[in-house]
Amino acid sequence: MSAPASPAGSAGHALELSKFWIYVQIAMLLAVITGLELVTVYLPFIKWLLITVLVVLSTVKFLFVIFYFMHLRWDKALCTILFFIGLVLAGGTMWALLKLFGAEAAKPLETTMAQPPAAISAAWLV
Amino acid sequence: MSTHAAVAPIDHHNDPTTSTGIPNKKLLMWLFLASDCMFFGCLISTHLIYRLHPPPDNPIAKNVFSIELTSFSTFILLMSSLMMALAVNAIQKGNLKSMRWSLLTTIFFGCIFLGCQVYEFRNFVYEKHMTISNSILGSTFFTLTGTHGLHVLIGVIWLTGMLIYSFTGRLSERNAIDVESMGLYWHFVDIVWIVIFTAVYLLEYL
Repeated sequence: MSAPASPAGSAGHALELSKFWIYVQIAMLLAVITGLELVTVYLPFIKWLLITVLVVLSTVKFLFVIFYFMHLRWDKALCTILFFIGLVLAGGTMWALLKLFGAEAAKPLETTMAQPPAAISAAWLV
Repeated sequence: MSTHAAVAPIDHHNDPTTSTGIPNKKLLMWLFLASDCMFFGCLISTHLIYRLHPPPDNPIAKNVFSIELTSFSTFILLMSSLMMALAVNAIQKGNLKSMRWSLLTTIFFGCIFLGCQVYEFRNFVYEKHMTISNSILGSTFFTLTGTHGLHVLIGVIWLTGMLIYSFTGRLSERNAIDVESMGLYWHFVDIVWIVIFTAVYLLEYL
């Protein structure tokens, strides 16, 4: 019984050994990405472009941590599905709230009162 | 039976004793983390919503924040995640000594992160005069980052408990899942910070 298990065991051992270097390389990559994020905020480009770059970079960091450090790459797909259900619900809630409160009609009264009355009534009618 | 169990390698990514193939502790931890995602999602949303329409007397976040300190904290937390991953890797190979050193380093990095946060909070309150109750920015910022800090503190206590437990002789490759579940929690704290670092700190500098 132990003889057939040996090749699988050595393969598994090789995977565990390679994991060590994968973790170290990913940690270095994450540190570099953090540095890039820091540089990005000082670049003289359009705001939406910088926001997009920052979101992409933090998403890359996020995915590297969950798939490698948290073993989702090697674990059953159910773990990924469960976590992404929570993630999608959280992301959806964030998106909906930001859309709702980002709307013109959602501006606080202090801000809208600074505008002329005609503009306020027009905003409410819309 | 016992001889067979001693020879056969342990598959840490598949548990044949459960119907899902996932160890129950790991499944429970993933469910908890999914729910915690929604919790932090709401806190981050609240902060961002109030940043959309800041009141006129609100402090200017860019003048309050210290990007150097926060970047250092981020780097420390990323390195703690690496050490946590190495601790899980070590216990899965049955290397208890290596796991202890990795855990100790993770605790050390976690404490540095907490120290930086305490310093940052003290600086905001006493130097920048931003408290949890005197501005909306203060309320949402301290609630969000404080909740994250509380998660880090719980993680540090859990890590310390596991380190002490490893000296009782009851921790081995067989119950590596205990360390792995704890690792999942610690990495989650790290990914939440990745989002907070971008959404709360970096966006203020644009």
